[in-house]
Amino acid sequence: MTAPAVSFSGVEKTYKRPRLLGADYLTAVKDLSFELPAGCVTGLLGLNGAGKTTIMKLLTGLLFPTAGKVRVFGHSPSEGAAKAKVGFLPELPYFPPQVRPGEALAYYGRLSGLSGAALARAAESAMAKTGLEPHAGKRVSEFSKGMLQRLGLAQALLHSPELLVLDEPVSGLDPLAIHDIRGLLAGLNAEGRAIFLSSHSISEVEKLCSRVLIMVKGRLSRSVERAEWEAAHGGLEKIFVEAVK
Amino acid sequence: MRRSAPVVLAVAYNSFFESVRSRFFTLAAVFAFTAVYASVLAGVMAVDQEARLLADFGLALIELTALAYALFEASSALPREAETKTIYLVFSRPVPRWAYLAGKLGGALLTAAVMLAVMAAIHVSLLLFRGFDVPPAYAWALAGTFLKLAVIVSFAFFVSLFSTSPVSTLVISGIMWTLGHFAAEARFLAERAGGLKGFLLGAALWLVPNLQLFNVRDGAAALPLGLPAFFSAAAWTLSSYLGALWLLSRKEF
Repeated sequence: MTAPAVSFSGVEKTYKRPRLLGADYLTAVKDLSFELPAGCVTGLLGLNGAGKTTIMKLLTGLLFPTAGKVRVFGHSPSEGAAKAKVGFLPELPYFPPQVRPGEALAYYGRLSGLSGAALARAAESAMAKTGLEPHAGKRVSEFSKGMLQRLGLAQALLHSPELLVLDEPVSGLDPLAIHDIRGLLAGLNAEGRAIFLSSHSISEVEKLCSRVLIMVKGRLSRSVERAEWEAAHGGLEKIFVEAVK
Repeated sequence: MRRSAPVVLAVAYNSFFESVRSRFFTLAAVFAFTAVYASVLAGVMAVDQEARLLADFGLALIELTALAYALFEASSALPREAETKTIYLVFSRPVPRWAYLAGKLGGALLTAAVMLAVMAAIHVSLLLFRGFDVPPAYAWALAGTFLKLAVIVSFAFFVSLFSTSPVSTLVISGIMWTLGHFAAEARFLAERAGGLKGFLLGAALWLVPNLQLFNVRDGAAALPLGLPAFFSAAAWTLSSYLGALWLLSRKEF
């Protein structure tokens, strides 16, 4: 049996909001345990405030768990060894409007430890995979939302990560862009990369994922395999609605 | 450490070019050019002290303009990256926080240095155009201004990691800059006051850099900067950097 790409065991994350007198505490995720197998596409579904983004940030080392343990390829998410294997696309990624895609990718490639010919090859390959090559001469300010999302994906792919963590990758995109991104993700998974994506779109998750985690108020309510929702009357949508109601 | 050097350089380079490309830099440069030109007009009105006034007024304006720009940049650099979520793309990579902070600080100081150099070139051109010699300690005065900027910019980075907004960082750093120019007087007052008051004031002054150390043009003669100025700038910059790093390493995004 292969080691999991990600494991959460008994994870809790509580945000502290300092006040004039004391502080407010908000528990975003609680008692969270799951594993993501290597090479699989796993979806994360939940209503707003269910803890999806918190999970993504815990996994990428942007947040630290209040309790429990997160492991990414056997390492703490804060360690360089874990980060080197993870590509992250946040929701609505931002790039300075005056730069060209090649410049943005060169910067993020250098931060990933690439340089010289390897950096040039990686940037070229990421642009080709995401279909950005025809737009290489444009500035980010001229990009549509779909193109920005492609650039976001390209920066996540630069260092050939084994795991892609995508927060709402098709949020706000038109149907054609969604179709293209879906094809791209399927291709990346075929290369053997694990993908962990959060979404509000049940149909997208249904099309792409082999397994779905459903979050309800910071807790993992259900873990559903593809076979299960394919066999169920009403599909994944019905399972999701029943879980969150 | 050696593997992180390219990361420091990449962040510094990116930070510098973002600053240079931003409109604020252009506006600040236009303002600086205008301000230095205004010093020529003031110089004309100074009759027989024209050369002195032109040099001093120009240097003061260069310092204030560079300070305003550098402080604005330093106060907003880290909050802006957090607000635009650019920081997610940085810290989800194997980028040590010390290297990121060093790069950001390096980029801000490089921008300040370039800005000083551009304004000084214009100022010197104006002096020569008016037929005056460049004061002998001119380069030292610029070096002193740069050291002052290094101290206050690193302090602004530190403050920006716990203050509630870039404006409050700007205000706190501005107050520190002002206090720093009266550190010697305050020390004298502390000695005169004596007792508990003097002790408390003296203790508080350890938290304020003596920025007069960097004022070459304040000397009766044109004296270059002494070694204490360089040591002081290095100590204050390093302390602020370490303080900022301590906060950044605990910060979540």
